[in-house]
Amino acid sequence: MSVESLRRVGVLVRHNTILRLRDPGQMISYIALPMVLMLVFKPLYERALDTGTLQAVTGPLVMFSVFALAIVGNSILIEREWRTWDRLRASRAARAELLAGKTVPVFVILVVQQVVLLLYGALIIGLPIPRSLGYVVLAVAVWGFTLLSIGAALATLVRSRGDLSLVSDIGAITVSAMGGALVPVSLMPGWARAVAPVSPGYWAMSLIRAALAGDLRAMVEPALVCLAIGVVAGAVATYRLARGWGRSHLL
Amino acid sequence: MLTAIDLTKSYGEVSALAGFSLEVAAGEIVGLVGHNGAGKTTFVEIVSGLIQPDGGQVRIAGKDPTHARAQVGISPQHISLYPPVTVREHLRLFGGIAGLRRSALRAAIDELADKMRLTGFLDRPVGVLSGGQQRRAQAAVALIHRPSLLLMDEPTAGADPDTRQALLDVVKERAAEGAAVIYITHYLPELTELAATIAVAKAGRIIARGTSAELLEKLPGEVRLTLPDEEIHVSTTEPTPTLIDLLRQVDRPVLGVEIRNPSLDDLYRSLAV
Repeated sequence: MSVESLRRVGVLVRHNTILRLRDPGQMISYIALPMVLMLVFKPLYERALDTGTLQAVTGPLVMFSVFALAIVGNSILIEREWRTWDRLRASRAARAELLAGKTVPVFVILVVQQVVLLLYGALIIGLPIPRSLGYVVLAVAVWGFTLLSIGAALATLVRSRGDLSLVSDIGAITVSAMGGALVPVSLMPGWARAVAPVSPGYWAMSLIRAALAGDLRAMVEPALVCLAIGVVAGAVATYRLARGWGRSHLL
Repeated sequence: MLTAIDLTKSYGEVSALAGFSLEVAAGEIVGLVGHNGAGKTTFVEIVSGLIQPDGGQVRIAGKDPTHARAQVGISPQHISLYPPVTVREHLRLFGGIAGLRRSALRAAIDELADKMRLTGFLDRPVGVLSGGQQRRAQAAVALIHRPSLLLMDEPTAGADPDTRQALLDVVKERAAEGAAVIYITHYLPELTELAATIAVAKAGRIIARGTSAELLEKLPGEVRLTLPDEEIHVSTTEPTPTLIDLLRQVDRPVLGVEIRNPSLDDLYRSLAV
């Protein structure tokens, strides 16, 4: 990547950061709500489970990180509503530069959300300090990438913000519940245990718990599954965004 | 500067371009006119590199449109700006993408703010601006990097006279500096003010091309004779001899005589309908 190209990416990242900062409502909501849930559910989980504190933190974290798909999707859908994506595509910026400029600030938001919730979990809820912060950062980055890709792909497939809201709300509850964010998978009915691995939330829970436990070996499989989901969704999003929406609105 | 040869483009069974050819020289302003659906915006999208033609060829300074984006400035038909972002931030964004840095970018913004009369609202979000102010901001974004090919798709649609004049002045100035301009409009007096040559599009191709004088030469004007009990209208390319003939034939008092030369509106109606 040339210096000129990096500069263009920098310009686009700054621009997209401005856009995100001028509409911070969703981000604040998806950080504040899980904090409240962690506090409320902590006593319940601690009485019911040996790993209650861990469940009280990782469950809402994963659930609301999936809700944050809406932030990713909206950041792309507004370009469609404002007819600005084609204007960017017609500029000197290459497709990869446009995508980097668009996704880096949103990725940072996803990572910041998870890091803030983990810090809150450690400082307020009583989650033990992880053995390896590096593993936690790695897990958060991998899950953030997966969410980013799914959110971007969704934004190119839905027809409106209403559709996105529908998909991300239902998806967040389903994915996180099936993945063990509300009730640990071990306590779920047999059929639910059988289908749980279909949910990305299951792999996110496994990944983050392994990272918090400092178990690198246990991180490998869920990390690979999350990355694979991210790569496939990312390929769909990249293909659709590179074509633009055009006047036909066929996308 | 721009050469488009025999472009074709279809959306399903709808043919948007069917052999569209147009050449625009550096410093030339071409008024591209035609009814809705004539293929004008599809042509702009192809020249912008946003869509690929099914057939034909486009070259901008000898390059494919996807490799000539740095040389092209576009003011789209619809407002395509970020409502929460200020005008200055828009200019920084698109100037920055085009490679302008620090003092050069500041100078370009100051110059455009002055010429496009943006100064009073340069630091206000686009979403709170009036339609005319948004139009000016939109055009300024197209002009910020001094493109050598300007594509302006109905840039003054719904604009007030001040906005219209500011934009026309800047377009004329940029053409005088050597930029090629394609100016799409339904408001034909603008083309007279821009001293533009004219290309008339119909059903996905250019059906007439030339200066307004050349194109009007072929059109009939009208001779009107007002008599006490009737009004005679005669369409003719030779109004003076026709008028003399009519006056010879009439045996009643003539209350009024009018010769109307063809206008660009007549041209538009006769060629594009």
